[in-house]
Order: sequence, then structure tokens, then C-alpha cells
Amino acid sequence: MSEATTAYDMAAEVHVTSGQPERRSWHLSRVRALPPGVLIGGGIVSILVIVAIAAPLIAPDDPQAGSLLTRLQGVGTSGHLLGTDGQGRDVLSRLIWGARPSLIAGIVPVAIAGVIGTALGAIAGFGGSRLRTLLMRSLDVLYAFPAILLAIAIGATLGPGLTNVIVSLSVILIPPIARIAESEALRIRSLDFMDAARTSGAGWIRIGLRQVLPNIAPPVIVYCTALVGLAIVYAAGLSFLGLGIVPPQPDWGGTLNDLRNNLFTQPWLSLVPAAAIFIASAAFNILGDGLRELLDVRADRAK
Amino acid sequence: MHRMTRFILRRLLHMVPVLFGVTVVVFVTIKLIPGSPIAGLLGPGSTPATRAELINRLGLNKPIPIQYFDWLRSTLEGNFGTSISFQSSAGTLVFNAFRNTMILAGAALILALVGGFVLGAIGALWPKGMAGRVTSAISTFSLAIPQYSAGLLLIVLFSVDHTWLPSGGMHSVTGSTGFADLLRHLVLPALAAGLAPIGVVARMFRAALLDVMGQEFVQSMRARGLRRTTIIRHAIHNTLPALLTITGLQIGYLLSGVVFIETIFSWPGLGQLVYGAISARDLPLIQAGVLISAVAVVLVNVIVDVAHGFIDPRVRQ
Repeated sequence: MSEATTAYDMAAEVHVTSGQPERRSWHLSRVRALPPGVLIGGGIVSILVIVAIAAPLIAPDDPQAGSLLTRLQGVGTSGHLLGTDGQGRDVLSRLIWGARPSLIAGIVPVAIAGVIGTALGAIAGFGGSRLRTLLMRSLDVLYAFPAILLAIAIGATLGPGLTNVIVSLSVILIPPIARIAESEALRIRSLDFMDAARTSGAGWIRIGLRQVLPNIAPPVIVYCTALVGLAIVYAAGLSFLGLGIVPPQPDWGGTLNDLRNNLFTQPWLSLVPAAAIFIASAAFNILGDGLRELLDVRADRAK
Repeated sequence: MHRMTRFILRRLLHMVPVLFGVTVVVFVTIKLIPGSPIAGLLGPGSTPATRAELINRLGLNKPIPIQYFDWLRSTLEGNFGTSISFQSSAGTLVFNAFRNTMILAGAALILALVGGFVLGAIGALWPKGMAGRVTSAISTFSLAIPQYSAGLLLIVLFSVDHTWLPSGGMHSVTGSTGFADLLRHLVLPALAAGLAPIGVVARMFRAALLDVMGQEFVQSMRARGLRRTTIIRHAIHNTLPALLTITGLQIGYLLSGVVFIETIFSWPGLGQLVYGAISARDLPLIQAGVLISAVAVVLVNVIVDVAHGFIDPRVRQ
């Protein structure tokens, strides 16, 4: 990070590179030096994203076409590698197509809440004490609600559907992200390089983009990556409760709920969508851990 | 003690604006629910005259701020309204369900604290050893297991092929309904709810203990030749504030996450009640349920803060 030893160094750096770390050239050895978490987590995440994009090409079957003659086939049936559900639909195809809404419902709310939460946190951190108290106390109100209960209440108000899942998850994810951003902003507001930038006559937009954002971004990014894992679990949970993606459109939480009804006839089948949710969520957690190591963020800061 | 009293009073005062905000959010959210509650109450065949009379009686023709303060006043008097689908006091329904949720969340919290404490301590005291690596892997993965998946897995393992443990409800329908029966019904849901918190507690406690073990007073104890068990005891004593924070966070998480567990295991708790109330458009019941759980979270946070003040005099400043 741009935390040089003297104010003079800082001022120089502000002029020469505007606080940005020097860009090193791209080389294969740098890939090998990446923390294992980034490689493993990032690898699984990439595979999942590719599967979601290429769903029409790789799904063996129509995810919505069932046959009552082939209901509830077990895992490993020929023609249905991961079995069929209670309506005879191919579970593997439903999982592959379901990756689209499930990943979108995990990633998009974190992105939305990340932008809003970072902005609110930065404004609170750099604003006067009255503004900070007002903003953070308002967020405390949202924080007081048990997250899932609030998401259920918002989901019930708006009705089911992907857009409304994204809205309700964005609302519940803003307060924790804003807290991280605020504590980072408070940490850097009195550091020398901020004074240097101010003295050199930079406007607040320039300071915000060139000094504040690069400095509060790493912990926020690490935290948000792990939050995607949680958001995937929450989004699938809302579908599981019938407040998410509207059936018969496939998604992981909905598929899990379908197969739960047949828990006592095909017990192991219901664990297939559960495994998909687990793998996706774990991959983002591992990626977050790796990024923490890569970006050198102290563990206790992004709990 | 004088300073402590002032500290507690100050924390209680801080609570007031947050609680006020909570009531506003609950009220506004309910007002935003599409569809008129009048049509739902009277059915499609009602005459305009009866509708107007009911609107008048429920005060729905008053300005929104007046409606809010009317609602707030009766809530503060302990009157949470009448549940539409149960035709009984929403407050009583919510408090009974909340007691059941507390039993489940409490059992899960005990599991999470004990399991997380053991895993975290092993991870911090032998960070390079096999045990440390295994425990940190367990804590990473337990985090990613959704509570509903864990619940289904436990049912598959313990209730489908064998009937070792019951897969739903709080008491047996027939036979004994004593404490032992409750415990038997509690095992699977508490395990499913506590799994992810075990990982969180283990990670946070491990970080806290590693941090304390690196501080100078530990080095000085080591230099004076104190036994390792003594040093560890002093170190753990110093992680108490961190443990307290962790516990507070987990209570909030458990109160929210048991919604899924209650649905899967048919546990008659608050999550199930609110979920049912939403499908039945039972507005007073939703209001009471969401409001009371939010107030509980705020209270837990205050209790954690006050306990911090008791443990660590620096916090009281």
C-alpha cells in the first residue's frame, strides 16, 4: 500500500504515481506465486461461471421436460447421471441451468451492496461526526433485524422472483459492508498521504478515487468475496422457502426443495443440489481467504 | 460502581433511537405490502358500507403518521394486535414461538461455543501441526454448509433408514413428553443450526488466542519459566472480550438462521410462525414477530456491551 515513511515521500508519490502501486509486468512466475486459495477458489469459481454460461451447450437434457415414466431415478442411472426428480426431470440438467440464477442471485446483490455500502461507509468515515452518527445509526437499525427474517419480510412484501431476491439481499448486505468501509476510512483519514493530497490541491473527487478508494478497497473486496458465498446460501434458502426463483424455472434452492419432498424414497438424491450450493459457497470462501493473503489484509479486520 | 451504572445507562439510552428506527422500518414494510387488508378481512362479496365501516374502525383513513403513533402506543402498552389467521393475541403467539426458538438457538449456541472453543484452541496452540491444519480445514468447510443442507443430511443419516432420532417436531405425539423426549427431538436441529457457527467461532477464537499468545506478557511469563498450562490459562482469560463479541454475533446469526431449521424439522418456533403468517397475509402477526425478534437482537447487543464493561474497565470510559 502507499504508506511511505515521511510526508515528503508521500507528496512525491502523490505527484508521480498518484498513490497507485507500481504496475509490474505480467509473467507466469507470478501466477505460481499466487496463494493456493486464489488458484483453487478462483479455479472452481471460473468453472462454475463457465458452466452457467455454457448451459445450453452442456446440459444433457431439457431442464423442464419431465416424464412420469422415469420419476425419481437414483444417482448413476444411465441417461440420467444424477438421477431424476419427482416429475422425472433430469437433475444434472436442472443443476447446470440452475447455476445461472443461483450465481446471479449470489454475485449481483453483493456487487450492488458493495458499491452502496462502500460509498456510505466512506462518506460516514470522512464526514463530520454528526453525519457519521446519523448514517451509522440508521444502518444500525437495519443491522438489528435478523438478516434472514428481514429478507423474508422484504421478499414477502415484493413477491417472489430473481429481481426481488436481489433487492432483498442487497438491503441486508449493505450494513456490514458499510461498517468495514467506515472503519477503513476512519483509519486512513488522518494518515500523512491524505494531508499530502489535500495540500497539493486535489479536489475531493480526485482524492476519493485516487487515495481513498485504492486504500479501502482491499479489505472490502476480501470481505465481499466471502459474502458472495453467504449470499448464494441465502438466495438458495429463499428459493427453498418458496420466496425466490419461481418454479418451474430451475435453480439450486428450488431443486433442493423439490427433492426434499421425496426425502424418504430417494434420500441421497436431495444431497445433490445441496452439494452444488456447498461447492459454490466454499469456493468463494476459499477465494476470499486467498485474496486476503494476496492483498495482505489483516484477518481480524474483515471478520 | 458509579461509573459502571453511568455506562449501563448510556448504553440503554443509545438503544432508544435504534429501537425507534426498528419500529418505523417494521411499520413502513407492512404498509408497503400490496393488496388491501380490508379485502382480505371481509372477502370479495363485502358491500362498500361495511368496508367503510371497517376502515373507520381500524383507523385506516387517518394520516399515515397518526396511524404509526397509534400503532406504536398500543405496542408499547403490550398490545400487539390480534392475529387474523389464529384469531388470538399476536403477542402471546409470538412469545410462545419465541420461547421454542430460544430453546433451539440456545442448544445450537452451546454446541457452537464448545465445539468452536476446542477447535480454535487446537488450531491456535498447535498451528503448524496436523491437528491445527485439520481443525482450520473443518472450520472453513463448516462455514459453507447451508443450515438447510446440514439439516437434510442429518435426516438422511439418522432418520430415513434407521429411526435413531426423530426428524421433526418438538415432542412425540404419543407417549412420554418429558425433558428426555425434548432432548431427543433437539439433537438433529441443534446440530444442523450449530454447524456453521462452530466454524465461525473456531476461526475467530483461534485468531484471538494467537493474537494474545504473541503479546509481551505471555513472553514474560515464558521467560519466568511458568508452565505452559498456566500460560495458556492466562492467555485464555485475555481472550474473554473477544469470546463475548463472538457470542453476541452468533446469537444474532442463530436467531435469523433457525428459520430454515424450523421449516425442515417442523420446529414450532418464530421463523415458522412468521413464514406461515406471510403466506396467510396475517399482518399483525408478521409485525409482532419481526418486531420482537429485532428488539431481542438489540437487547442482546446491549447485554454484550454491558458484559464487556464488566470484564474490561477500559470499555467503560
